[in-house]
Order: sequence, then structure tokens, then C-alpha cells
Amino acid sequence: MSVESLAVELLSAMTTAGSLFIIAAGLTLVFGAMRIANIAHGSFYMYGAFLVSTIVSSFGGGAFWVSLVAAPLIVATLGMVVEVTVLRRVYDKDHLTQLLATYAVFLILADLAIRFWGAQSRAVPTPAILSGSMRLGAASFPVYDLFVVGAAAAIGLGLWILLRFTLLGWRILAAVEDSEMLAAKGTNVRLLYTMVFGLGALLAGFGGAVVAPLQSIDTGLDANIIVAAFIVVVIGGLGSVAGAAVGAMIVGLFQALGILWTPSWAPAYIYLAMIVVLEIRPSGLFGTAEMA
Amino acid sequence: MAWPGKRRGTTHLGSVGLAVIMAAMLTGSGGSARAIAAETVAVALSTTLSGSIAELGRTGLRGIAMALEQINAQGGLLGKQIRLVSADDGAFPANGVSNVRHMILVDKAVAVFGPATSAVGTAVETVAGQYRLPVFFHMANDIQITTSNFTKYAFELVPNTVMEPRAIAYYFAENVAPKAGGKRIKIATITPNYSYGRDTVEVFLKTLKELKVDFEVAAQEFPQLGATDYTSYISALLAAHPDYVFAAIFGGDLITFTKQARGFNLEKQMKILGFYDQVALRVLGKDSPEGAIAWNRAPFWTENGPGFAKFLADYRARFHDAPSPWAITGYSAAQIWAYGVKKAGSFESDKVVAALSGATVPTIRGDITLRACDHQGEVPEFIGRVSAQTDPRYGQPIYSETVAVPASKTMLTCAEAQKRQP
Repeated sequence: MSVESLAVELLSAMTTAGSLFIIAAGLTLVFGAMRIANIAHGSFYMYGAFLVSTIVSSFGGGAFWVSLVAAPLIVATLGMVVEVTVLRRVYDKDHLTQLLATYAVFLILADLAIRFWGAQSRAVPTPAILSGSMRLGAASFPVYDLFVVGAAAAIGLGLWILLRFTLLGWRILAAVEDSEMLAAKGTNVRLLYTMVFGLGALLAGFGGAVVAPLQSIDTGLDANIIVAAFIVVVIGGLGSVAGAAVGAMIVGLFQALGILWTPSWAPAYIYLAMIVVLEIRPSGLFGTAEMA
Repeated sequence: MAWPGKRRGTTHLGSVGLAVIMAAMLTGSGGSARAIAAETVAVALSTTLSGSIAELGRTGLRGIAMALEQINAQGGLLGKQIRLVSADDGAFPANGVSNVRHMILVDKAVAVFGPATSAVGTAVETVAGQYRLPVFFHMANDIQITTSNFTKYAFELVPNTVMEPRAIAYYFAENVAPKAGGKRIKIATITPNYSYGRDTVEVFLKTLKELKVDFEVAAQEFPQLGATDYTSYISALLAAHPDYVFAAIFGGDLITFTKQARGFNLEKQMKILGFYDQVALRVLGKDSPEGAIAWNRAPFWTENGPGFAKFLADYRARFHDAPSPWAITGYSAAQIWAYGVKKAGSFESDKVVAALSGATVPTIRGDITLRACDHQGEVPEFIGRVSAQTDPRYGQPIYSETVAVPASKTMLTCAEAQKRQP
């Protein structure tokens, strides 16, 4: 195998990892702070992509950059509405009830999506400035895929700054550690949860918006992404953003190399990655064991 | 409120595992819409109306509904108005079975139209067989429907998973291989990882071999159905350096694959053979792969049967869109059932089945003969070259040349089919 091929293969793995990370980061943040496994996270991702397609088809290709900001903000608002109207009622219930609640939200959002956007597949053109490909010796690589990797890196950096250097970030980390103590110290945890859930939805919406030009946008996106996102979160360790980044890279690499070497078995590789990691570290790579 | 921190030592991993399982089973279960009227007869359609192939199921539903509305407007069948009962199976066989059973028992359906996917298709065939109701498959095309799972109540109205890949192989052997200049052709394949994908690629390669095409397989990829990220598959295809890639992926998956492949300049390095129907070309627009060899079960731009022009105009006026292959095959499926009822002079299953078995039925797709030995409709597969230019007549890209590969070339012989039947 040539050096170019290998480079293309690794860059492909990074693209896969980048788009998975953006989605998984939101999922793991919500889980870490709120202990909710949010199935509707996939719906927020799908809404991000659909909103981009609506904005671009209404205002033209130049509106893509606007939609990249607008779509996640709209989805974040939707997420906060869901938190206030649905999730607040189930925080004191057991995990199964919480899971059923987010599953119900998932089904409702899927049905609403068909009502708003119809069942037709849609496509968003790649913005002109990013539409070409970059030469790597004899091989070429899509410029837009590099943009996806860059966007994921920017999100990772942004989250790191947020969690390390801002009051909101400290409070989120404190909620991950001990939300009762945080409340006793006078923090409005109710509001904090709304903001964390909104942030999670924002990331999912951004993930959907960023990959919109790379794929067919249809009503099955929600289900198709959520399983992979959960696997990344489980590999990385529940609640750990750094874990989500490493988990996404592991999944991307396992998938790329699996496809290259034993294509017939490729779809099994991300599950294999999860099994191997959980066998070695049952709490995930960056997870800490739960105390009873 | 109680704080959802660390409570009761529940294992969070367990709940996430449950979430993964639930997410993997995401289902659209459907209640059927009912409005019982005295002088009506019900027919059943359980198909996929949600999720990533919702468009296939929904446009198929449109075609059937349009045909039945027109029949009703002309006085109905045997003096009765026809009522279509429909529900979503979410692409799960269990849902398809319970929907159809409900429609038969509660709605008193007298005939069934087939679902979108093959797995649901064979399950629905079995239920229809148990209740002895005719079932018409206008989308699902698994070869099992007319062979190992065959019941005499089933009719297959699109090319099955043997006919379709054989047709593509014939086209390839006649039009493409001779231009290779005696050089061995390198072929890579990418097909979804379930029976349709595995069967289609196997028959395609086997037929090429039978036709003495000099080729070798450079790589074989099997992505999951509904994959959203093909980049690693694309780079593996590029690394294999094939002359052609056989991409039997469809719907949103094909659009995703094509868009992602474009960035890698894949089309400059190999020619694509792909399942580009009118829906894929409409969505892709100018991103359609110029010159790709494409196949299609029911294009709208070819010579079709009587009434097709009117159907096309009616469909456009009503839905502001060109009909998908499934709208066309759905419409013709309803025509075929109605023909059977009229010929039998009855809604009774056995009489309708007897009237249709071996019959040649006029439809908007042209005359369709329903072969008596396996109830396979003798329908052609359409193959052509994608032209990425927007065709001014239709406002979207179509093929630059379209040939029909007749069923006589691609069907199993009656002896072969019957040997596989129960």
C-alpha cells in the first residue's frame, strides 16, 4: 500500500472521528452532568441537518455559513424546551422512565420532522470555497472533509476552555461530581441543567449542520447516528469529553482499517472496539467507576 | 425536585446499554386508519413510511392510492368503492405481519400490497398465504418471494434479485466489456450488508463469469444499510484501483455515497455502475455522476404503456414532483389487482388468483404477463447512462440513453424456479 493511500485512509478515519466527536461530545456532557441517556440526541442532529437544508434552499448557497450558526441555535432552543417541558418531570424517576421519556421525545420529533419536511431525501450543495479536493501525491482528499476535522477540533478546544476556565464550566463539572452539594452551595441547578441540555442539543445540531453537505438528509438520520454516538461515549467513558474525542478516534480508525483489511467484517469492527475497551476498562477509557 | 446525581448505585452503563438496544430497535409502529362504510371493500398496504426509506414507501403508497381513487371515480369495482388501509412497518418484519393481520381480520381486507423491504416482504407473503389473500409486490424483490417462500397467492411485479443483477451483467458484457481492448477488467463492489446486497453482487459477478467477461474482483465492500459515513469505504475503493465500481446501494445511501465520493475524485479514477433512479438524480442534481451506468425498475421517460402520459400529468399536477419508480409500480400493481377482480367477476381470492395466473395485463408500464409457474411479472430492467445535465422537459437529470433488458433474458426458467419452490 502506498504512502498516499495510507494518508488518505488516516484522513478518512479522522473525518469519521471528527463528525462522531461533535455529536458524542454533547451526548456525554448531558450524561455526565444530568445522568440522562438521551436518545433524542439523534433527533437534534437530524434537525440540525434539515434546518441547514431549509435555510440553504430558501436563501441560496451563500446562506450556508449563516445556517451553520442559526441551525444549532434553533436546535439548542428546542432542546431547552424539551428539558423544561419533559425532562424536569422525570429527574426523580428511575433510569428506565427517563429512557422512555427521551425515546418518546425521539418518536415525536421524528414524526414532526416528516410533517415539516416531508419524506423526500434532500441534499445541500457543498459551499463553493470548500468544494474542491486537495492533492496528496497521486491521491486526492476532499477539502470539506478537512473542514469537518477542523470544526471538530475547534469544538474540542471550545469545550476545553469552557470547562476549564469559565464559571459555567466549573459548575457543569461540579454537577458531574456532586449536584446536591452544588445546590446546597446556592447554585441554581435547575437552570444549570437547562443550559447543559441546551448545550448538548447545540452540539448535536452543529454536528448535523456540519455534515449536511456530505450526505443525503432524510428522516432516518436520527436513528442511524445515535447508536454510533452511544458507542463512542461508552468507549470514552460516560461523561468525559476527552473520552469522547479518543473514543471517536478509536471508532474511526477501527472502521477504516477494518474496511481496508477485511471488508466483509467491517460493520462489526466498531462493536469489537467497544467490547475490547470495556473488557480492559469496564468504565470506559476516561470513565470513573460509579460509587454506590 | 430530587437531584439526579449518584443515586441508588444503579449501573449507568446498564442504562446506556438499554438505550443502545432501544435505539437499535427504533420502530415506527402504525395504527391503521379506519372509516368503515357500507358499500366499500378494503385493500391493505403495510409499508415503510418512516425512517431513511420513508420516501420509497410513501411514493409507492401515492401510486396505489391514485389508481384506486381513479377506479372509484369511475364507479368502483363490481359496484363497490375501494378503500385503501395503510400503516407503517418501520422496516420491521414483525410490524408488517401484525399490521397486515390486523387489516385482514379487522378491516376485512380482500387483497394486500407488498411492503418496501425484502425482509418484511417474505414475512408478509407468508401471512397473506395463511389467510389466502392475493399479495402484490411492487417494491420488495427478494428471489425467495417467487421461489423458496412461494405461495400461489403472491405476485412479483418488479425484477427480482436474480433478474436485476443479471440484466446489469448482460448490459456490461455487451456494451462495456468489448471496449476494454482485451485487457482484464478490474471490478470493485459496494453493496449493503444484508440479503439484497449480498445476493445482488453474487449474481452480478456470477453472470459476468457465465458471459465470459475477462475480469477480476479488486475489492468488495459491505457497508451497513443507512450508513451516513462512506469515507473509509471510498478510500478503500480508491486503494484497490478498480476500473469499475458496482454500487448496488440505493436511496439516501446512494446519495451520501455519491456526494462523499465526489470529494475524493472517485469518478475520475473509476466508472460507477449504480442504482441511480429518478429520485436519486433529482436529489443529486448537477452532482449526478456524468456517464455512470445506471439501472432503474421504472423510469418515467421511456416508452411506457397506454395511459402513462395521463398518469404522469396527473401525478405532477397533484404532487408537484415526478413519480418515483415505486409510484409507477404501485399504480400498476393496483391496476393488476383490479384487472383480476374484473376478470374473475369476484373479490374472492382463489378466483382472482386464478384469473391472474398466466394472464397478460395491460398497465401504465405496458402489458405485464404474470408467469403461471412462479407468478413473476415479465417486466424489463431499464439500464442507461447518467447525464448530469438538467433535462429541460423534466427539470432534473435523466439518462442519456436507456435500454430495456427483457425478462426473457434474465428470469430463472420455470424449471429452475419450481425446483426451489416448497
